[in-house]
Amino acid sequence: MKDARELHREPAVRQSGPVELRMPADPDLVSAVRLTASGIASAGKCTIAEIEDVKLAVSEVLLTMIEHGSGQGLSVSLELMDSKFTVCGSTETGTFDHDHPDLALSETVLAEVCAEHSIDVAGSELHIRAVIELRRSDEC
Amino acid sequence: MTDQRGGPLSVDVDMTGAFVVHGDIDIAGGPTLERYVGRSQDGLPIVLDLHDVEFIDSSGLRTLLAAARRARQHDTHVRLRNVGAAVRRMLEITGTAQQFEIEE
Repeated sequence: MKDARELHREPAVRQSGPVELRMPADPDLVSAVRLTASGIASAGKCTIAEIEDVKLAVSEVLLTMIEHGSGQGLSVSLELMDSKFTVCGSTETGTFDHDHPDLALSETVLAEVCAEHSIDVAGSELHIRAVIELRRSDEC
Repeated sequence: MTDQRGGPLSVDVDMTGAFVVHGDIDIAGGPTLERYVGRSQDGLPIVLDLHDVEFIDSSGLRTLLAAARRARQHDTHVRLRNVGAAVRRMLEITGTAQQFEIEE
Protein backbone atom coordinates (compact mmCIF):
# COMPACT_ATOMS: atom_id res chain seq x y z
CA MET A 1 0.00 0.00 0.00
CA LYS A 2 1.36 3.43 -0.94
CA ASP A 3 1.88 5.95 1.78
CA ALA A 4 0.59 9.52 1.52
CA ARG A 5 3.91 10.89 0.15
CA GLU A 6 3.95 8.41 -2.73
CA LEU A 7 0.37 9.23 -3.61
CA HIS A 8 1.24 12.91 -3.57
CA ARG A 9 4.06 12.34 -6.09
CA GLU A 10 1.75 10.73 -8.62
CA PRO A 11 1.01 13.16 -11.43
CA ALA A 12 -2.56 14.32 -11.67
CA VAL A 13 -4.47 12.47 -14.36
CA ARG A 14 -6.03 14.94 -16.76
CA GLN A 15 -8.48 13.15 -18.93
CA SER A 16 -12.00 14.10 -19.80
CA GLY A 17 -14.22 13.06 -22.62
CA PRO A 18 -14.59 12.82 -25.41
CA VAL A 19 -17.76 14.83 -24.94
CA GLU A 20 -19.69 14.46 -28.18
CA LEU A 21 -22.41 16.83 -29.28
CA ARG A 22 -24.81 16.88 -32.19
CA MET A 23 -26.41 20.22 -32.79
CA PRO A 24 -28.09 22.32 -35.46
CA ALA A 25 -25.96 24.87 -37.32
CA ASP A 26 -27.31 27.63 -35.08
CA PRO A 27 -25.03 30.58 -34.23
CA ASP A 28 -26.89 31.10 -30.94
CA LEU A 29 -25.64 27.70 -29.71
CA VAL A 30 -21.94 28.46 -30.22
CA SER A 31 -21.62 30.16 -26.84
CA ALA A 32 -23.13 27.08 -25.14
CA VAL A 33 -20.44 24.85 -26.68
CA ARG A 34 -17.75 27.37 -25.68
CA LEU A 35 -19.10 27.22 -22.14
CA THR A 36 -19.04 23.41 -22.17
CA ALA A 37 -15.45 23.35 -23.44
CA SER A 38 -14.47 25.98 -20.90
CA GLY A 39 -15.98 23.83 -18.14
CA ILE A 40 -14.08 20.74 -19.27
CA ALA A 41 -10.83 22.70 -19.44
CA SER A 42 -11.45 24.29 -16.05
CA ALA A 43 -12.19 20.93 -14.43
CA GLY A 44 -8.93 19.69 -15.96
CA LYS A 45 -7.04 22.45 -14.16
CA CYS A 46 -6.11 24.30 -17.34
CA THR A 47 -4.78 27.80 -16.86
CA ILE A 48 -6.88 30.84 -17.69
CA ALA A 49 -4.76 31.42 -20.82
CA GLU A 50 -5.31 27.81 -21.92
CA ILE A 51 -9.05 28.11 -21.34
CA GLU A 52 -9.10 31.25 -23.50
CA ASP A 53 -7.30 29.33 -26.25
CA VAL A 54 -9.81 26.48 -25.99
CA LYS A 55 -12.73 28.92 -26.25
CA LEU A 56 -11.22 30.56 -29.33
CA ALA A 57 -10.53 27.20 -31.00
CA VAL A 58 -14.08 25.99 -30.34
CA SER A 59 -15.51 29.21 -31.72
CA GLU A 60 -13.42 29.09 -34.89
CA VAL A 61 -14.21 25.41 -35.53
CA LEU A 62 -17.96 25.99 -35.13
CA LEU A 63 -17.86 29.24 -37.09
CA THR A 64 -16.18 27.49 -40.01
CA MET A 65 -18.69 24.65 -40.00
CA ILE A 66 -21.67 27.02 -39.81
CA GLU A 67 -20.41 29.40 -42.49
CA HIS A 68 -18.94 26.83 -44.88
CA GLY A 69 -21.24 23.89 -44.23
CA SER A 70 -24.54 23.24 -45.96
CA GLY A 71 -26.62 24.15 -42.90
CA GLN A 72 -27.12 20.56 -41.82
CA GLY A 73 -26.35 19.34 -38.31
CA LEU A 74 -22.92 19.67 -36.74
CA SER A 75 -21.01 17.01 -34.86
CA VAL A 76 -18.56 18.28 -32.28
CA SER A 77 -16.17 16.40 -30.04
CA LEU A 78 -14.24 17.87 -27.10
CA GLU A 79 -11.51 15.86 -25.41
CA LEU A 80 -8.97 16.65 -22.76
CA MET A 81 -6.15 14.14 -22.67
CA ASP A 82 -3.23 14.96 -20.38
CA SER A 83 -1.37 17.67 -22.29
CA LYS A 84 -3.78 18.23 -25.17
CA PHE A 85 -7.27 19.58 -25.63
CA THR A 86 -8.71 18.42 -28.94
CA VAL A 87 -11.70 19.96 -30.69
CA CYS A 88 -13.08 18.05 -33.67
CA GLY A 89 -16.01 18.99 -35.85
CA SER A 90 -17.71 17.62 -38.91
CA THR A 91 -20.66 18.56 -41.07
CA GLU A 92 -22.00 18.29 -44.59
CA THR A 93 -20.67 20.81 -47.05
CA GLY A 94 -21.50 21.76 -50.60
CA THR A 95 -18.82 23.51 -52.63
CA PHE A 96 -16.05 24.32 -50.20
CA ASP A 97 -13.79 27.27 -51.03
CA HIS A 98 -10.40 26.72 -49.39
CA ASP A 99 -9.34 30.22 -50.48
CA HIS A 100 -12.27 32.12 -48.99
CA PRO A 101 -10.89 35.22 -47.16
CA ASP A 102 -13.07 34.59 -44.08
CA LEU A 103 -11.56 31.13 -43.82
CA ALA A 104 -8.07 32.60 -43.98
CA LEU A 105 -8.83 34.83 -40.98
CA SER A 106 -10.18 31.87 -39.05
CA GLU A 107 -7.10 29.81 -39.91
CA THR A 108 -4.84 32.65 -38.76
CA VAL A 109 -6.51 32.47 -35.35
CA LEU A 110 -6.38 28.67 -35.22
CA ALA A 111 -2.70 28.71 -36.15
CA GLU A 112 -2.01 31.07 -33.26
CA VAL A 113 -3.87 29.20 -30.52
CA CYS A 114 -3.39 25.60 -31.65
CA ALA A 115 -0.34 23.36 -31.82
CA GLU A 116 -1.93 21.82 -34.88
CA HIS A 117 -5.10 22.20 -36.87
CA SER A 118 -6.57 20.86 -40.08
CA ILE A 119 -9.54 21.63 -42.31
CA ASP A 120 -10.29 18.82 -44.74
CA VAL A 121 -13.09 17.92 -47.09
CA ALA A 122 -13.74 14.24 -47.69
CA GLY A 123 -16.52 13.67 -50.19
CA SER A 124 -19.31 15.94 -49.03
CA GLU A 125 -18.06 16.10 -45.42
CA LEU A 126 -16.11 18.93 -43.87
CA HIS A 127 -13.80 17.84 -41.06
CA ILE A 128 -11.99 20.24 -38.76
CA ARG A 129 -9.54 19.33 -36.02
CA ALA A 130 -7.83 21.72 -33.63
CA VAL A 131 -5.38 20.66 -30.92
CA ILE A 132 -4.39 22.98 -28.11
CA GLU A 133 -1.17 22.10 -26.31
CA LEU A 134 -1.48 22.35 -22.51
CA ARG A 135 1.01 22.30 -19.69
CA ARG A 136 1.90 18.77 -18.72
CA SER A 137 -0.38 17.47 -15.98
CA ASP A 138 2.56 16.89 -13.61
CA GLU A 139 3.34 20.60 -13.79
CA CYS A 140 -0.04 21.46 -12.26
CA MET B 1 -31.39 52.23 -25.84
CA THR B 2 -30.56 48.53 -25.76
CA ASP B 3 -30.84 45.83 -28.38
CA GLN B 4 -30.53 42.14 -27.59
CA ARG B 5 -31.92 40.71 -30.80
CA GLY B 6 -29.75 38.09 -32.42
CA GLY B 7 -28.11 36.66 -29.34
CA PRO B 8 -26.61 37.43 -25.99
CA LEU B 9 -24.79 40.55 -27.17
CA SER B 10 -26.44 43.86 -26.37
CA VAL B 11 -25.58 47.44 -27.23
CA ASP B 12 -26.26 50.68 -25.38
CA VAL B 13 -25.66 54.13 -26.76
CA ASP B 14 -24.14 56.41 -24.12
CA MET B 15 -24.45 60.18 -23.70
CA THR B 16 -21.51 60.78 -26.04
CA GLY B 17 -23.02 58.67 -28.82
CA ALA B 18 -20.58 55.81 -28.26
CA PHE B 19 -21.87 52.28 -28.75
CA VAL B 20 -21.30 50.40 -25.49
CA VAL B 21 -21.07 46.72 -26.32
CA HIS B 22 -22.00 44.06 -23.73
CA GLY B 23 -21.24 40.40 -24.34
CA ASP B 24 -19.40 38.24 -26.82
CA ILE B 25 -18.71 39.52 -30.33
CA ASP B 26 -19.05 36.30 -32.27
CA ILE B 27 -21.15 34.76 -35.02
CA ALA B 28 -24.28 35.25 -32.90
CA GLY B 29 -23.56 38.71 -31.54
CA GLY B 30 -21.89 40.27 -34.56
CA PRO B 31 -25.13 40.92 -36.48
CA THR B 32 -26.59 42.91 -33.55
CA LEU B 33 -23.52 45.11 -33.47
CA GLU B 34 -23.63 45.49 -37.26
CA ARG B 35 -27.18 46.85 -37.05
CA TYR B 36 -26.06 49.56 -34.63
CA VAL B 37 -22.97 50.49 -36.58
CA GLY B 38 -25.10 50.71 -39.71
CA ARG B 39 -27.25 53.35 -38.01
CA SER B 40 -24.31 55.59 -37.16
CA GLN B 41 -24.26 59.04 -38.67
CA ASP B 42 -22.15 59.46 -41.78
CA GLY B 43 -19.03 61.52 -41.29
CA LEU B 44 -18.79 61.02 -37.55
CA PRO B 45 -16.32 58.60 -35.96
CA ILE B 46 -17.85 55.32 -34.85
CA VAL B 47 -16.92 54.90 -31.20
CA LEU B 48 -17.18 51.42 -29.68
CA ASP B 49 -16.78 51.06 -25.93
CA LEU B 50 -15.65 47.48 -25.37
CA HIS B 51 -15.19 47.45 -21.59
CA ASP B 52 -17.82 44.69 -21.25
CA VAL B 53 -16.52 42.47 -24.05
CA GLU B 54 -14.68 39.42 -22.77
CA PHE B 55 -14.65 37.35 -25.95
CA ILE B 56 -14.25 37.97 -29.65
CA ASP B 57 -13.61 35.51 -32.47
CA SER B 58 -12.69 36.06 -36.12
CA SER B 59 -16.32 36.63 -37.12
CA GLY B 60 -16.55 39.35 -34.47
CA LEU B 61 -13.36 40.88 -35.80
CA ARG B 62 -14.90 40.87 -39.28
CA THR B 63 -17.78 42.94 -37.88
CA LEU B 64 -15.29 45.50 -36.53
CA LEU B 65 -13.33 45.50 -39.80
CA ALA B 66 -16.53 46.05 -41.80
CA ALA B 67 -17.32 49.01 -39.55
CA ALA B 68 -13.84 50.40 -40.18
CA ARG B 69 -14.30 50.04 -43.95
CA ARG B 70 -17.67 51.78 -43.77
CA ALA B 71 -16.17 54.59 -41.72
CA ARG B 72 -13.29 55.07 -44.18
CA GLN B 73 -15.77 55.36 -47.03
CA HIS B 74 -17.18 58.36 -45.14
CA ASP B 75 -13.74 59.81 -44.42
CA THR B 76 -13.82 58.90 -40.77
CA HIS B 77 -12.72 56.02 -38.57
CA VAL B 78 -13.67 53.55 -35.85
CA ARG B 79 -12.39 54.38 -32.39
CA LEU B 80 -12.13 51.49 -29.91
CA ARG B 81 -12.44 52.48 -26.26
CA ASN B 82 -11.61 50.36 -23.19
CA VAL B 83 -10.12 47.52 -25.21
CA GLY B 84 -9.72 44.41 -23.06
CA ALA B 85 -7.29 41.53 -23.31
CA ALA B 86 -9.39 39.37 -25.64
CA VAL B 87 -9.95 42.08 -28.26
CA ARG B 88 -6.36 43.27 -27.99
CA ARG B 89 -5.10 39.74 -28.56
CA MET B 90 -7.37 39.23 -31.58
CA LEU B 91 -6.07 42.46 -33.12
CA GLU B 92 -2.48 41.35 -32.49
CA ILE B 93 -2.96 37.82 -33.84
CA THR B 94 -4.48 39.11 -37.07
CA GLY B 95 -2.33 42.22 -37.44
CA THR B 96 -5.41 44.43 -37.81
CA ALA B 97 -4.88 46.94 -34.98
CA GLN B 98 -3.89 49.65 -37.46
CA GLN B 99 -7.39 49.55 -38.94
CA PHE B 100 -8.68 51.26 -35.81
CA GLU B 101 -7.97 54.21 -33.59
CA ILE B 102 -7.43 52.69 -30.16
CA GLU B 103 -7.86 54.83 -27.05
CA GLU B 104 -5.19 53.98 -24.49
